[in-house]
Amino acid sequence: MNWLMRRFRPEQIRWLVLLLLIIVVIFFFASQIDNYLSARFFVRVSTSVAIIAVIAVGQTLVVLTRNIDLSVGSIVGFTAYFVGQQLANNNEMAPLLAVLMATGIGAAMGAFNGILVSYGRVPAIIVTLGTLALYRTILVQYSDAQTVITASLPSWIVDYLPRANIFSIGNLDFRLLVGLMVVVVIIFQLVLSYLPYGRRLYAIGSNPDAARNAGFPSQRIVFFAFVLCGALAGLAGFMFLARFGNITVVAGLGFELKSVAAAVVGGVNIFGGSGTVIGTLLGAILIDLIDNSLIRWPEISQFWREALLGLMILLAVASDLVIMNRLRNMWARTELQMVQQETEEPLQQEEPRYAA
Amino acid sequence: MKDAILEMRHISKRFDMTQALDDVPLTLYPGEIHGLIGENGAGKSTLIKIMTGIHRPDQGEILLDGDPVQISNSQEAQTHGIAAIYQEPMVFPDLNVAENIFISHRDRGLLVRWGKMYEEAEAILAKLDVKLDVRMQAHGLTLAAQQAVEIAKAISLKVRVLIMDEPTASLSAHEVAQLFRVANTLREQGVAILFISHRMEEVFEISDRITVLRDGKFISSAPVEKVTLDSAIRDMVGRDIEDYFAKDQTERGELLMSVHGLSKENTFTDINFDIHRGEVLGFAGLVGSRRTDVGLALFGVEPADSGEIIFAGNTLKLHSPEKALQLGIAYLTEDRRQLGLIMSMSITSNISLPMLRKYLTRLGLLKQSEEYTTSEEFRQRLSIRTPSVKLEVGKLSGGNQQKVVLSKWLNAHPKLFILDEPTRGVDVGAKAEVHHIINELAEQGLAVILISSDLPEVLAMSDRILVMREGMQMGIFSREEATQENIMTAAMGQHVQEVEQ
Amino acid sequence: MPPRQNFLLVVWDRLKSWEGFLLVILIAIIVINSIQTPAYLSIGNQINLFNLSIEKIIVALIMAFIIINAEIDLSVASMMGLSACTLGWLYSQGAPIFTAFLAGLVVGVLGGAFNAFWITKVRLPSLVVTLAMLIGFRGLARVLLEDKSIGDFPEWFDALGQQPLIGPFPLALIVFFILLVIAIIILQYSGFGRYVYVIGNNSEVARYSGVRVQRVKMILFIASGAISALAGLLYAARLGAVRGDLALGFELDIITMVLLGGVSIFGGSGSIYGVLLSILIVLNLRNGMSLSNITGHIQTGVIGALLILSVLIPNITQSVRNMLSRRRTAEAQ
Repeated sequence: MNWLMRRFRPEQIRWLVLLLLIIVVIFFFASQIDNYLSARFFVRVSTSVAIIAVIAVGQTLVVLTRNIDLSVGSIVGFTAYFVGQQLANNNEMAPLLAVLMATGIGAAMGAFNGILVSYGRVPAIIVTLGTLALYRTILVQYSDAQTVITASLPSWIVDYLPRANIFSIGNLDFRLLVGLMVVVVIIFQLVLSYLPYGRRLYAIGSNPDAARNAGFPSQRIVFFAFVLCGALAGLAGFMFLARFGNITVVAGLGFELKSVAAAVVGGVNIFGGSGTVIGTLLGAILIDLIDNSLIRWPEISQFWREALLGLMILLAVASDLVIMNRLRNMWARTELQMVQQETEEPLQQEEPRYAA
Repeated sequence: MKDAILEMRHISKRFDMTQALDDVPLTLYPGEIHGLIGENGAGKSTLIKIMTGIHRPDQGEILLDGDPVQISNSQEAQTHGIAAIYQEPMVFPDLNVAENIFISHRDRGLLVRWGKMYEEAEAILAKLDVKLDVRMQAHGLTLAAQQAVEIAKAISLKVRVLIMDEPTASLSAHEVAQLFRVANTLREQGVAILFISHRMEEVFEISDRITVLRDGKFISSAPVEKVTLDSAIRDMVGRDIEDYFAKDQTERGELLMSVHGLSKENTFTDINFDIHRGEVLGFAGLVGSRRTDVGLALFGVEPADSGEIIFAGNTLKLHSPEKALQLGIAYLTEDRRQLGLIMSMSITSNISLPMLRKYLTRLGLLKQSEEYTTSEEFRQRLSIRTPSVKLEVGKLSGGNQQKVVLSKWLNAHPKLFILDEPTRGVDVGAKAEVHHIINELAEQGLAVILISSDLPEVLAMSDRILVMREGMQMGIFSREEATQENIMTAAMGQHVQEVEQ
Repeated sequence: MPPRQNFLLVVWDRLKSWEGFLLVILIAIIVINSIQTPAYLSIGNQINLFNLSIEKIIVALIMAFIIINAEIDLSVASMMGLSACTLGWLYSQGAPIFTAFLAGLVVGVLGGAFNAFWITKVRLPSLVVTLAMLIGFRGLARVLLEDKSIGDFPEWFDALGQQPLIGPFPLALIVFFILLVIAIIILQYSGFGRYVYVIGNNSEVARYSGVRVQRVKMILFIASGAISALAGLLYAARLGAVRGDLALGFELDIITMVLLGGVSIFGGSGSIYGVLLSILIVLNLRNGMSLSNITGHIQTGVIGALLILSVLIPNITQSVRNMLSRRRTAEAQ
């Protein structure tokens, strides 16, 4: 047990648990549904996960600081529509420009959130509940209820991009979109582990009061987290456009809840201070896998998807509270024992609840 | 005499109606520990907040190495080498020790190099002669260890002026000794230390120089050799204060409560005692002895796992504060800000809260005029200094707030009153008033359990003293047999005997 | 006896506060609307104004309690949908409408109890639990009705929802008035209301003072479930039909009404009077916008902006006030 404790941090244990759950789910559905383990299903799910994972990574950054961004769904919808429309009107536009436009607009929308939360001191739940509505309204107004049609879009985005593969293993194709998601995940996992900026996100969520007096600009850091979240939502909007082509005014609806769910299931503490991007990715995979599998399972009406999603969030957070706390305490006690053995001095103990 | 590092001149600061500081000077020299004492409201914390950039003075100037500086925020204070540690350490629970030390640094490069960070953290801790696992998450550390981390953080930022604001209030004697060792190490390294505490013995033990503030004004400053305890108290209070109030002998009434074998896993074991009406039972012990946990068990907040409580003849299972209140047990918490009062509500609403049931009509509506009457009665009885009982309690001074808390519980007409550190953070004048009140309560037939880390207070006020150490009951001393030495011996258990050998 | 206070002073003090500010805004909106639409202040239009959002304002009353208690219930709109879908589904399966209605209420109580369990026993944050149930209850509603729509309720049922019952007032409006009076009495004048405020201010102090904190929370969340369910059922009667997406997104309006009314999101402060004023503001605003042919989507956007402003503006005025007082004390020296 001690060896296990030495080798793996609590976060890593959660990764293992999630991986295990994913495998269990795959086995379960494979036994229930014919042709479940098909190449086509893999592509379907992986591209679906790619989009939600990118959004969830952005959400993770915000949740780590003890905030939340409920407007990401509206940001995805708006950027997908806006860029789609621009491309429809100007098929010659450079692909890179389209990506930058989507990301840039998303960043701007995230910045608006960030200003209100960081400098206006309005709680994030309020701001993003408001911009959830506001951004959706802007989308509806801008679109004038018109749909962006696949036929009007340049072929590189509707034909090439969704079908391009980075590589293939046998029958399994790894789409470019999936590769994009992997790059995003790797970048931000590194940011959170090795960049001072990333570490400060944890600090701010861990103890906001201490962060204010700690000598780094916590307001600016939180602001930037919202900008990044918006930017990633914008990028996801671009990916959404590539995958679906047809964009209506309800595009992106529901992504905010899914991204929060992915983060929470993935081990990000809803109060901030702990969690990993890889965990979020695994959470996104688990959720989207179950979602996509249920659609194909004739036994249960597909309308159970939403109800199950709600239940999963509850269970994830509840188990987080109970299990992770116990794990963390066990962890601290084990480390304590090891230190004691080394120094033979009862220096530290479990912090007494009251100092008397 | 070396040149001063930090000089504060003619510092004045006003908040609304209160002149918190009025033309106050303070000079800190490198390699010197400067003790700052004063009652609550004397201006100490305001002065610290100005030094650390949280407030800006209305008048006056601050000189660093002889040059005038502006300290507009905490980052600037940090840049100038000024750092503070408080009674409540501000660490990041989810980050490990090393990260906590280095998180505020701006100049460690683009990437976090974990290996190097761990090495440097260990080096700093070694300099302080403190042993901690730098990879350990901060939330598993004791208060004392967290303070050590904060000091390590200050050192890593090349602190030149270290402010310690009531750092020892929650530490055990062993940990205080360790803290003082660290302070002395820093002193030798040329750091200027400002040490603030209500515990006079500590201030006298560690300081080279002592400054006294009163009501926002500078009263005196002198090398510690030239200051006596009496003169310091006189300066603080402005008048002579007699010795600790000694409890009158009251008649011991009938048996009220018997506790047998009370235990709670990992917290305390096998607590046994009786308490009678009219009796004050002191709970003595070092910090960490778990006296508060016993109190909380008796009040139903954190119930015990096993054991028996017989109260007024009935065996009880105390599972909630509500139940305890019904039975006539009241508990005055250690921390009145967090646990004792609703700061933004009126004195009246705070006082009536535990007994709100008594102020309701049959339909559940509030009888506000009766609430008002009650709070007026207590205002007079306890001399609570306030323009009106409708005032928010947050606006009162510490001593008066404590009186409101007392009122709240007295209003519940308890048979047993558990007081946890009732005079902590209360100035000397109000302290005496609280002791008077305890005495009165005993005369009226209440049973009082007095949990206090202030040994002279416990000795003066108690009829009997129960001593605890690390969750275990070490013994019960009667008033006649109790002395500072045998209580301390019991409180420290084996260690003292070993040292003596 | 408390000193008799000058009544006018009390009124003036109240007016200077947030509620006074709201009153001014309300009057401004009514004036603007009256100018644009001559028949604005007619009884017919006023009743209509309430009608369009009557279910939301019913739920806003209980939401006020919950937010003052320093909690939040994001699942209210989904519960409205779930109770309505329960009604619709049972009715479509042949149950008498009265039984189906009762079943809807029971679902509300059970849903509220479900939330209460996770919040008071497992001690999960209410934000997370009710966010999960925002999804969960909606999901259950969809399981019941899938993508169908259930209509053709008995005429008397529809009439109950659409036609006036007593005088010009329909049933829902009467229910609102009754609940409003009850809410005022409980929150501002009863012991339970005092507990709600105290717990919202500092639940630990409340606990140490012998208050049964978890029990109060449990009651509030069960009440929230029940009242949301009732609102959903009334909505179904008014619409004459039920779908899985009934009341989708209503939580935005409801929370806005409460926060705009001066209730702090952090708990412990605010009053029903303020909430009542903000309800009137939101209703008159929406009505005015509808009469000016502003689409529902834009109205929603406006409400979203209003939500943000309702917290932003007090923050700004507080900062300004701090700055001014700092300047004042500096000048005084």
